[in-house]
Amino acid sequence: MSLIPGLGIVRGMALTLRRFFQPKVTHLYPELPAEISPKFRGRLQLLYDEHGTLKCETCFQCAQACPIECIDMGGVDTKGRYAVHWGASETYGERREESALRRAGRTVPDVAYEHWSPIDLGPVDAILHEADHDPSRLLEILGATQAAYGYLPVAALKRISFGTGAWYAMIYGTATYYDHLRFEPPARLAGSDKAATPALGSGRQRLEVDYLAGLEQAIGSGSKGPAGRVR
Amino acid sequence: MTTTRTPFDIPAHASSDDPRVTLDEQLGVFEPIPPYPPRTEREAEFYTLRDGEMFVNMGPQHPSTHGVLRVVLKIDGEKVVDLDPVLGYLHRGVEKLCENADYHQAICYMDPLEYISSLFCEWSPVMAFEKLLDVQVPRRAEYIRVLSGELNRIASHALFMGWFALDLGGLTPILWSFIERDEIVEMLAALTGQRMLFNYFRIGGVNGDLNHEFMSRLGAWMSKATAHIDSNQALLNENEIFVRRARGLGVIDTATALQMCMTGPNLRATGVPFDIRRAHPYSIYPELDFDIPSRTEGDCLARYLLRMDEVRQSLRIIDQCLHQMPDGPVMAKLPRLIRPRPGRAYAAIEGPRGQYATYAISDGTDQPYRMRIHDPSFIHLQSVGLLTPGNLIADTMAIMASLDPIMGGVDK
Amino acid sequence: MTVVGRTWDRLTIPGKILAVVIPLGAALTAGLAILIAVVGGAVVQFLADNLPLVRFVVAATIVLLMTIPSAFLIIYMEMKVIALMNLRYGPDRVGPFGSALSVVHGLKVLMKEDFTPTGADVPVFTMAPVVVYMSSVLSLLVLPFAPGLFGQDFNIGLLYFFAMGGLTVVGLLMAGWSSFNKYSLLGGLRSAAQIVSYEIPLTLSVVGVILLAGTMSLNQIVLGQAGSLFDWYLWRQPLAFVVFFIAVTAEANRTPFDLTEADSEIVAGFATEYSGMRFGFFFFAEYVNVFIASGLTVALFLGGWNAPFNWPWPVTVGLDPGGLGIGLLLLLAIGPPLAIVVLGLPFYLLNSRIRFWQALVIGFVLFNVVAVGAVLGLAFLSFDWVVGLLWFMGKTYAFVFTFVWMRGTLPRVRIDQLMGFAWKWLLPAALLNLFVTALAILVLKR
Repeated sequence: MSLIPGLGIVRGMALTLRRFFQPKVTHLYPELPAEISPKFRGRLQLLYDEHGTLKCETCFQCAQACPIECIDMGGVDTKGRYAVHWGASETYGERREESALRRAGRTVPDVAYEHWSPIDLGPVDAILHEADHDPSRLLEILGATQAAYGYLPVAALKRISFGTGAWYAMIYGTATYYDHLRFEPPARLAGSDKAATPALGSGRQRLEVDYLAGLEQAIGSGSKGPAGRVR
Repeated sequence: MTTTRTPFDIPAHASSDDPRVTLDEQLGVFEPIPPYPPRTEREAEFYTLRDGEMFVNMGPQHPSTHGVLRVVLKIDGEKVVDLDPVLGYLHRGVEKLCENADYHQAICYMDPLEYISSLFCEWSPVMAFEKLLDVQVPRRAEYIRVLSGELNRIASHALFMGWFALDLGGLTPILWSFIERDEIVEMLAALTGQRMLFNYFRIGGVNGDLNHEFMSRLGAWMSKATAHIDSNQALLNENEIFVRRARGLGVIDTATALQMCMTGPNLRATGVPFDIRRAHPYSIYPELDFDIPSRTEGDCLARYLLRMDEVRQSLRIIDQCLHQMPDGPVMAKLPRLIRPRPGRAYAAIEGPRGQYATYAISDGTDQPYRMRIHDPSFIHLQSVGLLTPGNLIADTMAIMASLDPIMGGVDK
Repeated sequence: MTVVGRTWDRLTIPGKILAVVIPLGAALTAGLAILIAVVGGAVVQFLADNLPLVRFVVAATIVLLMTIPSAFLIIYMEMKVIALMNLRYGPDRVGPFGSALSVVHGLKVLMKEDFTPTGADVPVFTMAPVVVYMSSVLSLLVLPFAPGLFGQDFNIGLLYFFAMGGLTVVGLLMAGWSSFNKYSLLGGLRSAAQIVSYEIPLTLSVVGVILLAGTMSLNQIVLGQAGSLFDWYLWRQPLAFVVFFIAVTAEANRTPFDLTEADSEIVAGFATEYSGMRFGFFFFAEYVNVFIASGLTVALFLGGWNAPFNWPWPVTVGLDPGGLGIGLLLLLAIGPPLAIVVLGLPFYLLNSRIRFWQALVIGFVLFNVVAVGAVLGLAFLSFDWVVGLLWFMGKTYAFVFTFVWMRGTLPRVRIDQLMGFAWKWLLPAALLNLFVTALAILVLKR
């Protein structure tokens, strides 16, 4: 503080007036691109090799190392390929429940193995007995199995293959040929019952359900197949 | 509004839908409702109003509480009679998070504690873990740590200047000091890869050597740093209004400061030249030539001027680091997965706000069994209750700003 | 119905607006014409009988309308000047050099929700911005902008001015009390203490000027400073000028005395609970007050609309447009297109990349620049109030710049320092000035 009162204020005001005419330091961002140093680590990105193939092998080492679980990956895209997600698993729907379970310390059910989960095979045995284990009456057997379970579980198909002596591929082919036979519970295909919708469907399946539901609405009830679904 | 009702008569859980609650109580602005009946005598005494007094809730959304601090002020006119700081709005449980992460990951959690001086938050746990592992850090890594740390100290002190002036009503200094801070932060981004939460120090060294971009930015800045910092301070140091407001305000004497466990610039402003860099030397500080500035007034002006003196000493240290920088590796050879032997370690460093310390216990696994973080902001904030009563409302902000707390570190 | 409805449905939105507005406008015009025909004579007679009333209403309306653009200008100035002092660019997106940003701010404020907090004293809460704004506008009424250009020339103009300025504190106190917020209350009480304290040195510092001029009419005070730079009261009353400037800064709630809305202490002071256009009124009133404070300083101490040197005006211009008769009409019809073509042709001829219509556009712009310049120059030379207004506005905005500059530099004082400064320093200084002035007048007159 100077001896003359007010001199400090006057000198400060002279300083601000000098700054008034000095060149400005603001970076005009949208016009001039920001300088990002080569070492900048703020952006996660996946690298591609010279053929344009994704280098990531989904080995999960990065996700393992990440302390706050901000890296996670998973999911299948509409063409059945692996799609790798970056970002917190809460941010994309198909892994949300799984993430919550994992954070709670519980085991995460894998929907891919749901079809192979053990089921009660008593009805299948009864049907096979009734049809006299005859592979030529396969359509009848399959229809009865579907009536019993609501759909065709993989374990039941294997049992049918074992009981009749027919190849599994043949049974599977027969089942896929007919429209009224299905491999998933009907609730999932209806797409309306949220409670019955499994937590994890592959991306393809969900898209297909949405697509068909939209298609049914658009076409109306005119051209439905025997199972009531759009062909 | 003459009512003899004390706020404790209102049920703490009463909502505005409750028919028992009258309109006055619904509005709930005449007396701040403590969360529950008083736990201590002090709380009961504080929440009882005498004639002419009223409560003002300062925060957690107040513009100048430096984060989410809530201070319940009991005022009589403009005069603060008493105050009750309420902490914990930013509590994240960093210590527990660190105990559930492995040693490398724990360092990452330390950065956001005091986001203005992130490198110092990393430094003390890294030093503690190195003591647990008994690692020898390469000398070049130590020099780089000191160099980047002192840069960060200058950035922190520059920002302090701006905030202090802003809380005293000056609009311009904060933008000028942000210019300095931005240049430092940009050059640290070139060195560490991040602008704010650097995550640069590793157990046994640093992540990456000095690079060309950092050195060129540093050189360009160092050539004009002294002139810039002096010129910025000229606006405040000689300003009568500023000096008259800061001088003699919030005076704390040496004995009280020591009783309050104050460290760093706030203690040095009371006349105790205690600096961990000299008192308990670590890293390469014993080899460097610098002074420990101290002042005897112990008021807000002394705390401000002392920090400005420290900036000059930091510039000296950076100069010496650049001249003495040895060659060699920047990282000690360590296994990827670290399992220290069971034991305990304590490491303290001198940060821009005082003593940052970490106490870590290892049980032989890859995660620390216990981690305790000592943060200077929390220690310094408790003296607000001692310094403020008797001053005016405007001085509350000035005193709080002069202690320079960061709420991220206070609430941990 | 069907035809009308279908046509209505096919209209675009501008079409719908026009289809409503045009008939409505026609109907209103017709109604107005009928009204004028019926009662026009009586109204004109009434107005002619009460000419001062008409003059007052017109002046008040003009002053009210003038405050908005001047407030916009000062807001823009504040944003830009402080930004440049902070080494920023400041507003630079809306309009040339960002100059339309303050207008956009005004529109934003208009569109925001007008919010009344629970527990507020609603009538008082609603009235407070009006009181604050009206006190500013009313005190603008006696400010002499130029010779012959002022709302009213009271013989107690200065007293009226301070009385109206003192009304501001009522509005601020109303806002502070009725907002049902402790920050607002503190802000209102601070403003009451501050403005009441600073009124005294403010008024006392002016008494010297009143003694010198021998009148309280602002117009007469300005006329008393006619002549050159050295006839201004600044040189005869330097101490009064300093005291007055400091006190008027405090009266206008400007930094370093902006305690009523100290954002780092009491959030936004009396305006904490205000939003929308009510906040906008406070905001505008603040900047109108800056203008008023600057204008009053200029009128009292810096010669008002007097030029700082003996300007040889009014220059007699020997051009009489009326003498041209029908030629004037022809000139107005032929002149502009000819001038546009003549001004645009060189661009077309000299630059092959400019098409003819582009050259015409350039010619049009150039013609407008030239014409406006010519008209302004003619007005400047012919009417003394134009040059007076220019000098007054120039000086006033120099002071506005000073206020903004102070805001960019200085921290805020504390309330006890503020009051102590007023009572311990400014009041004795003003009294000393008054005493010395009176003594000098007494001695020199003898």
